[in-house]
Amino acid sequence: MSFFEWLEHSRWVTAISESGWMYPAAEVAHFFGLFLLVGTIAVIDLRLLGLAVRRQSVSEIAQNLFPWMWTGFGIAVVSGFVMFATGATGFVSNTQFRIKMLVTLLAVTFGAVVQRKTAQWDQPSGIPGVAKFTAAISLALWIGVILAATEIANYSSL
Amino acid sequence: MHDALLNFCKWLENTSWALAISRSLWVYPVVQLIHFSGLSLWLGTIAVVDLRFLGLAARRQPAGQFAQQFIGWTWSGLTIGFLGGALLFSASASAFFKNPAFRIKLVLILAGVFYHLVVQRNAGKWGESPAIPTVAKLASFLELALWIGVITAAVEIPNH
Repeated sequence: MSFFEWLEHSRWVTAISESGWMYPAAEVAHFFGLFLLVGTIAVIDLRLLGLAVRRQSVSEIAQNLFPWMWTGFGIAVVSGFVMFATGATGFVSNTQFRIKMLVTLLAVTFGAVVQRKTAQWDQPSGIPGVAKFTAAISLALWIGVILAATEIANYSSL
Repeated sequence: MHDALLNFCKWLENTSWALAISRSLWVYPVVQLIHFSGLSLWLGTIAVVDLRFLGLAARRQPAGQFAQQFIGWTWSGLTIGFLGGALLFSASASAFFKNPAFRIKLVLILAGVFYHLVVQRNAGKWGESPAIPTVAKLASFLELALWIGVITAAVEIPNH
């Protein structure tokens, strides 16, 4: 039996699949985590691109928002894993899901890079071009994650 | 009244652009993306401000000042999210109209938007002193609960 078959049929996962409300609750948590995550990283990226909340310095905004970006991500990962587990064998072989996981990995990596570099990029002479470029890619990647996620619902047999 | 609205929905879903959305392979996901992006901005910024008033986030900055900086993005997010939502609705207007989960979602959204106006109005006053008044904490908690309600209703739409 593969790991994914074992996971799907383990006791706690079956309990979740059979309960009427647990999967929807995981969905709601997943969306809430996603909105928190994308909302905060979008504001940071848009600030780096010089398009948002210019009154405050990038470092200040980043300091305020990054904890919430990662909280949102954490909620999304945990709830996402719960949903994944209930249909592990189907999800793991689904192309759209695999694409979403890959894009998410890339988006998270870029988010971490942005976080690492914001203090350095917050220069009095203005935000360097490489910062704007990275922020644009970060934004594009999260848009990619959302697109990939909607494709799973629209095109898979799940 | 009900029939008039239903007829409007049927007219809506047969407009050329609504048909384009429902028939094209790529337009629908893009419209979904617009909807999600907009509402991420709306909810993300609202959530962070509510969490600040609940004393759980960004405590370094005075709450009133913190809330102030997001106002533009909050309402831009709502505008974009609403536009995307209206387009999604138009593609299957009569089905959405009859869907009880969707109706609840719409009522909650309406309530939520007006509620946020009230919260935003008071944010300056509530965020003046370092000690956040209890009414502010209650209002923020209620707002988070309301929008979690909207998400729940949205998640239930496919099930009805």
